[in-house]
Amino acid sequence: MLLSFSEKQIGALLPAFLHIDKQLNISAMGPGILRHLPHVRMGMPCAEAFDIVNYDTAQFFQEGANVQPVSLIARDSDVHLSGAAIFHDAGCLLAVRFAITEDMFADSSMDLSDFGHADPVILSTMLIVLQRAMLEESQANAIELAHERQRSADLLERTSRVAGYMAHDFNNLLSVIRLNTDRLSRQFGKDEKIGKLAEIIQEMAARGSEITQSLMTLSLQRTDTRQPLAVDQVIQDNMGVLDSVVGSNITLKLNLDADGRKSVVSYSDFLNALINLLLNAREAMPMGGQIALSTSIGVGRSNSHADGDADTDMAASGSYIAIQIADTGIGMSDALLARAFEPQFSSKPNGTGLGLASVRNFAAEMGGDVWLESVEGMGTTAYLHLPVARTVAPLVAAGSSPPNAGTPNALGKQRILLVEDEPYALEALVEMLEAEGYAVTACTSGEEALLALGQNAYDVLLTDVLMPGQNGTEVARDACIVQPSIKVILMSGYVPDSAALQPGWLFLHKPMESAKLLQLISG
Amino acid sequence: MYGMIHRAMRQMVQEELGEEAWLALEQKLDIGPTELLTGMVYDDALTLEIVAEAAARFNLSVDQTLEAFGQYWVRFAGQGSLSSIMKFTGQNLASFITNLDRLHLAVGSAMPGARLPTFSTLENAPGHLVVEYRSDRVGMEPFVKGLLQGLMDRFDACGEIAVVHRGEKTILFDIRYQDKG
Repeated sequence: MLLSFSEKQIGALLPAFLHIDKQLNISAMGPGILRHLPHVRMGMPCAEAFDIVNYDTAQFFQEGANVQPVSLIARDSDVHLSGAAIFHDAGCLLAVRFAITEDMFADSSMDLSDFGHADPVILSTMLIVLQRAMLEESQANAIELAHERQRSADLLERTSRVAGYMAHDFNNLLSVIRLNTDRLSRQFGKDEKIGKLAEIIQEMAARGSEITQSLMTLSLQRTDTRQPLAVDQVIQDNMGVLDSVVGSNITLKLNLDADGRKSVVSYSDFLNALINLLLNAREAMPMGGQIALSTSIGVGRSNSHADGDADTDMAASGSYIAIQIADTGIGMSDALLARAFEPQFSSKPNGTGLGLASVRNFAAEMGGDVWLESVEGMGTTAYLHLPVARTVAPLVAAGSSPPNAGTPNALGKQRILLVEDEPYALEALVEMLEAEGYAVTACTSGEEALLALGQNAYDVLLTDVLMPGQNGTEVARDACIVQPSIKVILMSGYVPDSAALQPGWLFLHKPMESAKLLQLISG
Repeated sequence: MYGMIHRAMRQMVQEELGEEAWLALEQKLDIGPTELLTGMVYDDALTLEIVAEAAARFNLSVDQTLEAFGQYWVRFAGQGSLSSIMKFTGQNLASFITNLDRLHLAVGSAMPGARLPTFSTLENAPGHLVVEYRSDRVGMEPFVKGLLQGLMDRFDACGEIAVVHRGEKTILFDIRYQDKG
C-alpha cells in the first residue's frame, strides 16, 4: 500500500466518510456523521441507515469495483451524501461529503467543520454566498450614492434659487440707485461736483450689476433681454462667427432682404439658433459645398402647417421675417426629416440631438416656426420664420392734433401704465418718463393696474414682474386681452420662465439704463 | 482596508454618538459615501485616520477604540449581509476560530487585494484556546483582542484573553473561557 491513513486523518479530509465491511455493516464513520446522524452506530447494517441511490444494496459488492460514484440518502433525515465508493479487499470506503444547499448557510444546521479542508466545492459555494453578500452590499452602496447625489442636487438647486432671489433683490436695489442717479444727473448734473458724484455712483452701480449678473449666471438664471432686433443687422454683425461656423471648405452666400425689419427676440438665443442651423448644414456637406443664407419679409401664412389652422400670432398678423438656410449637401430621407427636431435624436454618430430641438423651442417661444425641406442627394433647406415686431405709433408732439379721440394718443401724449411695487423706483421712473413727455399712470400693484386698464386706454404697459399679489406677466396677459394693441414691456432682475412670456412682449433686465428703456418704449 | 470596515465604523459611531457625530467626522476628514464603498480597498492610512477621529469623539485612546471596534465588528458582520457566512464558519468559539482561515480564504477570493491575517489554533482544549495571529500589518493587537472578545460575546461565553507572546508578525493569544449558559 502506498499510503495509510488513520480514521482520524480520513475524518479530517472527509468528515462525512463511512466504511462498510463485506457484510454491508458500518465499520467506521467520520465526525460529521456522528454530529448530524447520531442514530447511526458502528456495526449497524448500512441499509438500515441509508439508501444507496445508484446501487442495489444486496448486490453492492457484486456490482461495484475499484472506484465508483455513489450517492446516499439517510433514512431518518433529509441528509444527502455523495462522492466515491472505493472498493478494497476488506470492504468499501464511502468517501462522501454532505450535499451542499444554500439553506445550509442560513439555517445553521452545518458549518465548515463538516467539510474537508481540501473540499473545493465548499470553497466555491462560500465564494458564491460571499459574492451574493457583496452584491447586496453594492446595491446598498449604489442606493446610498444615489441618495447622496440627489441631496447634493437638491442643495445646489436650493442654493441656486437663493442666489437667484438675492440677485433679483440686488438688481432691484441697483435699479433704484441707477434710476435715481439719472434723476440726480438730470436735475443737478450741471453742478460739476454733483455730476461727478453721480457718475461715480453710476459706475459703482454698473459694477454691482456685473456681480449680480455673475451670480445669476452661476445660479443658471437667464440674464438676456428680449427686444426688437433687426435680423439682417444681427447677421451682418456676426458674419465673422458665422463664417467660422461653416468652415473653410464651405462657401456662405448671403442674400439679406428683410428690409431692416425687427423681431422681438433674445439676441443670444437668435444667434444660437442661426449657429445650430448652420452647423446642421455644414455637417450635411463633409466634402464642402455651399450654404445660402437669405432673409425676406413674408405676408400671410407663415408656418409649416399648411393644412392647419392659423394658430400663432404670427400667422394671424401675417407679417414675418423668413430666414432660409439652404445647403447643397446629402439631403435627408423622409424618415430622418420626420424626426429631425426630436430632442436627443441625431443622425450623426457624435450628435447630441439637441441643436435642432433647441431651434424649435426658440422659434416656438418667439411665436415663430422652423421646419426643414429636403431632397436626398440635392440638399436641405431650413426655414426659420419669426414674427415682425409690431410698430408703435411714434410719440406725438404736445400740441399736435389728436389722431382719434378716445384712443390712447388722444391727448397728444403716449400713455404709459407703469406698475412697480418698489416706491423709489416708481418715483424715479415716473419723473423720468414724464420729463420725456409721456403721460404716466403709476400703480404699485398688479391689482391697481388692472383697475386702471378698465378705466383708460394705454399705449404701453411697463411693469415689474415679481410683485406681491398679481405678478407682472399676469397683468400683461390681462392687459393684452382688455387692450390688444398695448405694447408690453416687462422689467425684472429675474428673467421669467419663457412659458410665461408671450411672443412680442419686450423684456428689460434690471438694473436698467434709462436710455435703453426709452429706446424700447419709443422703438 | 476594505470599505466594509469603514461602514462598520460609521455604524458604530452612529449608534454610540448619533448621526451628527458621523457627519462631523466626515466633514473633518473630507470624506463621504465614496470612501464607504464595501468592496473598495482603501489605504490603511485612511482607515486609521477614521479610527483616530472616532477615538477623539469617543473620548478614548486609539487602542481602546480599536479594541472596541474589533468587538463591534463581529456584531456588525453577524447582522448584515455576511450573517449567513458567519453562521456557517462555526457554531462555537473553538470551531469558529479554527475555521477562520477557511473563511478568509473565501473572502480573499471574493475581494482581490485583501490583506487578510491568518489564525492558527495551537491548542484547543475545553475552555482553553491558544491562537496565533499572523499579519503583515502592525498595531492591530487591540483590534484582534476586541475581535476575540466579540467572538466570545457571539457564542455567549465569558473569560479572559491574554497576550502571551509578541513576534515580528505574530501575536499569541491565550483564551480561557466558559460558556455562560
